Amino acid sequence: MASLAGRGPRAKIRPPRRGLANNDIDFNDTWGVLEKAFLEIHTKNASALSFEELYRNAYKIVLKKKGDELYKRVADFEERWLAENVHKRVVNLLTPPLMMLDSTSGRSLTTTAEKKDSGEKFLRELRGAWEDHQVCMSMLTDVLMYMDRVYCQDSRQPSIFAKSMGLFRDQILRKPARTEMPILLDILTRIILDQIRMDRDGETIQTHLIKANISMLEGLYDSDQEVEDEKLYLTAFETEFLATSADFYRTEGERMLRESDAGTYCTHAKRRIDEEGDRCRSTLSESTAPKIQRVVEDELIRHKMKGLIEMDSGVEYMVDNDKLQELGFVFDLEARVDVKKTELTRAIQKIVMEMGANITNAAVAASATSAAPGTTEEQAEDKAKTGAAKVNQVTVAALKWSEDILALKDRFDNIWRQAFQSDQMLQIALNRSMADTINSFSRSSEYISLFIDDNMKKGIRNKTDAEVDSTLEKAIILLRYLQDKDLFETYYKKHLCKRLLLNKSQSISVEKQMISKMKIELGNSFTLKLEAMFKDMTLSEELTNGYKSYVNKLGDADRTRVDLGINVLTSMTWPLEAFRGGATADEDQGNLQIIFPASIDRVKTGFTRFYNEKHSGRKLTWQTNMGDADIKATFAKAGKDGKPRTHDINCSTYAMLILLLFNDLPAGASLAFEEIQAATNIPPSDLARNLQSLAVAPKTRFLVKEPMSREINPGDRFSYNENFKSQFVKIKVGVVSAGNKVEGDRERKETEKKNNDSRGYVIEACVVRIMKQRKVLAHTALLNETITQLSAQFKPDVNMIKKKIESLIEREYLERVDEAAVPSYRYLA
Amino acid sequence: MDNETTVPAAEDRTTIAKHNIEKALYQETQDIRAGRLKDENPLDKSADFRLLCDAARRGDLRLAQEQITKGVNTNARDEYDYTPLILASLCGHFELVQMLLEQGAKCERDTFQGERCLYNALNDRIRNLLLSYDYSKSTDPLQPLAGHITSLLTRDAPQTADIILHTADTSFRLHKFVLSARSPYFRRKLQEKPETKSWKLAPLIPTESFECCIRYLYFGDAFIRTLDREDEERSVLEGVDRLSRQLEVPQVFETLLNPGDRRQARQRRQDDVENGRDQLAAWFRGRVLQRKFVIDTDEVSQVTWTRDNPSFADVLLQADVDDESTPPEQESGIPIGPSLDMASRYAKPRKTLFPAHRAMLLRSELFSTMFASSFREGHIAPQTIDWAGRPAPNADDANEALQVVPVDCTAAVLEVILTFLYTENVSFPLSIALDVLHAADMLFIDKLKQRAALLISTLGNGTSSVVESELSRPGSQTPEEQSKEWIYEVIRSGWDCRVHRLEEFGARYLAYRLESYIGEPEFREIVRESAGRITRREETDTVELVDDIRYYLSERLRLRFEDAGLEELMEGHNVRDTREHEEAEDSELDKTTGETNDVNILADAHMNNISGEGQVVRTLDGEIAGDEFAQDAVNYQILLAKIDGLLEELRLDA
Repeated sequence: MASLAGRGPRAKIRPPRRGLANNDIDFNDTWGVLEKAFLEIHTKNASALSFEELYRNAYKIVLKKKGDELYKRVADFEERWLAENVHKRVVNLLTPPLMMLDSTSGRSLTTTAEKKDSGEKFLRELRGAWEDHQVCMSMLTDVLMYMDRVYCQDSRQPSIFAKSMGLFRDQILRKPARTEMPILLDILTRIILDQIRMDRDGETIQTHLIKANISMLEGLYDSDQEVEDEKLYLTAFETEFLATSADFYRTEGERMLRESDAGTYCTHAKRRIDEEGDRCRSTLSESTAPKIQRVVEDELIRHKMKGLIEMDSGVEYMVDNDKLQELGFVFDLEARVDVKKTELTRAIQKIVMEMGANITNAAVAASATSAAPGTTEEQAEDKAKTGAAKVNQVTVAALKWSEDILALKDRFDNIWRQAFQSDQMLQIALNRSMADTINSFSRSSEYISLFIDDNMKKGIRNKTDAEVDSTLEKAIILLRYLQDKDLFETYYKKHLCKRLLLNKSQSISVEKQMISKMKIELGNSFTLKLEAMFKDMTLSEELTNGYKSYVNKLGDADRTRVDLGINVLTSMTWPLEAFRGGATADEDQGNLQIIFPASIDRVKTGFTRFYNEKHSGRKLTWQTNMGDADIKATFAKAGKDGKPRTHDINCSTYAMLILLLFNDLPAGASLAFEEIQAATNIPPSDLARNLQSLAVAPKTRFLVKEPMSREINPGDRFSYNENFKSQFVKIKVGVVSAGNKVEGDRERKETEKKNNDSRGYVIEACVVRIMKQRKVLAHTALLNETITQLSAQFKPDVNMIKKKIESLIEREYLERVDEAAVPSYRYLA
Repeated sequence: MDNETTVPAAEDRTTIAKHNIEKALYQETQDIRAGRLKDENPLDKSADFRLLCDAARRGDLRLAQEQITKGVNTNARDEYDYTPLILASLCGHFELVQMLLEQGAKCERDTFQGERCLYNALNDRIRNLLLSYDYSKSTDPLQPLAGHITSLLTRDAPQTADIILHTADTSFRLHKFVLSARSPYFRRKLQEKPETKSWKLAPLIPTESFECCIRYLYFGDAFIRTLDREDEERSVLEGVDRLSRQLEVPQVFETLLNPGDRRQARQRRQDDVENGRDQLAAWFRGRVLQRKFVIDTDEVSQVTWTRDNPSFADVLLQADVDDESTPPEQESGIPIGPSLDMASRYAKPRKTLFPAHRAMLLRSELFSTMFASSFREGHIAPQTIDWAGRPAPNADDANEALQVVPVDCTAAVLEVILTFLYTENVSFPLSIALDVLHAADMLFIDKLKQRAALLISTLGNGTSSVVESELSRPGSQTPEEQSKEWIYEVIRSGWDCRVHRLEEFGARYLAYRLESYIGEPEFREIVRESAGRITRREETDTVELVDDIRYYLSERLRLRFEDAGLEELMEGHNVRDTREHEEAEDSELDKTTGETNDVNILADAHMNNISGEGQVVRTLDGEIAGDEFAQDAVNYQILLAKIDGLLEELRLDA
């Protein structure tokens, strides 16, 4: 081959073999050949035809610039063929049952089976016609390849294939079936819709027939431009289909709501949605799936959700009966149509609030039964024991409240996890309603603190670390919801104080753990004071030891010397009033100098000296009311056989002082209440309480009271109980109201008042901080800023803020800006 | 024009630092010396190559194409390490660069010569052109052929396989002609028994090994999948070793063992493909071209070749005998098909039949459609083999005669086409170039069409053939010596076959000789045709051909007085002005009157031109002679005026 090339670079260019000027091919002859062949193709007789011959003929026509005429002839040929042969064949199958479809009442005469049958026949025929047309046209396209490539592209005509598809649309689908009848396309749509309806009603239909017809509609376009979103399927069928489906599901949904329960409804709706998806895949077009599913969702879910949730067997019923699966269905349904799950959220929130309110009411009721008699202090004191029991009952109610709230949370957490797929929106909603529930109860701060207290004292006994941890975690959960964190702090401090000083806590490490958890949850400032309390405790221990060794070094091993254990408490950190019982107001003299016996006083002054040596300039205030003492007491007849016996008695410092008085007393002598008081200077109420333990409580009746009665009254006389007997060596003298209990109303008011006072300071500080930074700020802006800054601690009362602003203005921290459009303040440096 | 699109692409490639290039160059030389790498730019001191280099320096398309056609290596270098591509891009001959690239000249980034070529490019237009042909992006010229043959392995329809090879667990549908061409072993075996329909392989050899060899034979990459287990991999490798020895294709195993680095692998692959192509080409010459035969048209229907023929052909292509003695007028325009009445018009109509393989013909879109269609040609009843390799159920079919498919062209043209389809080789005499062009258009073989057009447009003319030089060179045999009409045929063929390159070529050709064509009725006719084409397209109302001619006319004549202007009108603003488009030209000339001597001359010429309208051009030339530039300017004006006149006339006619 290479030999042919390039011989003589100046080789001549010869004109092509066929002079194009010659016009000696006869168009009509050539077309005749082609037409005959096309007819053969349409009658499925093509196997003997020569592709080459046909192509060559078409090629020559195009080369002779007769492409346009060829194109027109082919189109005409197709048009004739479709109109004369195919259309007739298809229309012949339109049997009366099919024609009835359009009349709305048409279903009466014909049975479904008949309708189905003739519908299928029609569909089959149409499919056949379409498939034939496509096969033939692809053959024609092959033969007319050159025309497509050259003529159609040059003159911007649609390819002959596209053109013939348009002809099929116009000649078959857009022709009225018979005169005065709708066009075939409409009939086709109606038949398919009818078949689908049968399918929905549970009949089996020939899905592949419908699919074939649908793909025909998908292959055809509304216009010859073949715009992608103007497929006949979209313009003629889909809208119709969606509208019909919407009707169908609207009625079905209404019926279902009336007739069945929510669970069934959910499963049904889910099944319908899946079904429609499947139908789109198997029968219609994949592209419709999202649209029809949206229709079903609209009709069966979005418009019905409210009704569904509020059904008798709706969400409330499901929650009550723990129907997790069905709740899951409801969630799934709503999640389909609404990312926010508005309806379900609302319903769940309502239920949580209701259940929370029930728990709160129960707690209130439980405390009310006891509080009712307890409202008046006198009555309560009338029956001290029953009163105490009732106070206990309130405490129990508080604990129960906490437990119940936790159980409620657990329950909904469980639902949330299992049925709501841990959905975030719902979590937020649940949290909010839990917080609302807890904060709507005014004593929640106290109750939660009590709950922790109880656990610290008893609950964590015999528990593994993991269990303890989960208990603490629960407490933190409750705490997290709590709004008035400062109030909680007050209570917690109080309770913690008692636990620490009275050694009631099970484990100091758990206490510290709790504190560190709070630190994580609420921040550093919250736990600052609590941690200081622990620090004081440690320091005190060191002090005690230091003092002991100091004393030992002094060298005078005085056996009668009293050992001293001391807790030095920073007065600001410790809520010492917690020990003062109810009547602080009466006891301004509370810190009157208690008169100590000489032996004790020596120790006291000794320590004071010791302490001052270490820390000069500090003042020690002795909180005798909080101390306790170990005494060795010998009772003459305490032994079994009346021999003297020594008991170790643990009692409060006051009790010790009282008992010491009787040491010096001659046998048989007695002291009056007033005498005791004068000798010790113990506040009367404390004295009464301690005497009660010593002279009334049967197990620790070291003294005999005259007259014998339960109450301690001024004028009563006390004497040493010679006949005291006890089988225990160690005896602990209980003092009434030593434990942590629910506050009485008065106490509570007290606490609140104090809390409000401290809040006032916090608010003022906050306002000043803000103003210092901003210099000038509008009133509302200041309010908002304050509320945001304080929300971590508590929810400030707007009125209180206003008052505090007033007072700050009075004290000339701020001034009003006169000329401002909105009320504003200016910071005065 | 494509500055906007390609320049950013060019910018984001960072220029390689000089020392890196030097290092790479040193490495490359070492590799070549050690034989690890093949020298891609071998030194070539032959006279032909020097001619090619000269052509590249001058931008002489025709000379360059002639040398390339002779078979000169476009990637060789001269004693100064210049390759033709570097020269052409250095000298700024855009079209020549394009032509070289189209015919396989390489400009590969990451090689010394490639970077040098880019660096040397005269302007951005050429640089972008070079980048767009970057080897790593463009394909190996043989890739289409190799790709096609590889695809035969997986191609389902139309069915072209004629032999089935069974391994222990799989069967492969293969083609006897490929096996025979590529493997000496198969060639012998199949020669002995051409009717073989299936083949059993030694069961010990893993299928994977066989697949690898087959892929290699079918021009694919020889590789084996990495297997999980080492012993499996070894047994596959051993299988390949044994097979490559049995089939006598040792390269498979070698390729498999030495993958080498990227560049080595590519060179090896290129060698393999080239080698395979040569094998196939040799086989094609021996079994296809040599077995063509000539018979009377009447007897075509009696030809009964069966599938068992020694060429393994599954179809016969029929072309007209190109009988030079028959006057072309008689032959042309008549479609010569199988129908007897048409063919019998000639005294002794004879046909040439070529045995051919559908598998290869599929490369033409027309044949591919034809053989896949459900028409007669689509029936490949003879010896269709089913999966199991059993002969077709109907035993008679197996012996049925091969179909004869007529192709409407001469035997020479068909030979060119077949050669291209089988070997990717395109070289043919200029004399049948237009026929090849038409046949390629009919058969939808785009590449061949482009190559035919390239051949015509480069060999038919070159930029060096300016009118005067041609006239003053009596010895040169220009195409003009034959009848002038051929150029119209070229333009018409360009229109018919939608090859824009030919239109441009025709316009340029005419522009450079306009004075001898402009008066001819044929010229008028072709302008009318061009105008007709445009009205049909409903575009702007310009006549494309005339626009093109005007453009090339300005290129031909204005270039010269522009250069002159550069020298002599240094300080004047005229330089800038004259550089503008020719529309502004006339007024510009008027304005500059009286500024300098030269301008005066120009103006004079202009005046003369106006006054001398309608007179004979050459006498005017004679009067002003002495200043070439002025002469050109005058000629330019006169020719433009003539074109305008012609257009006016035509429009009046219409």
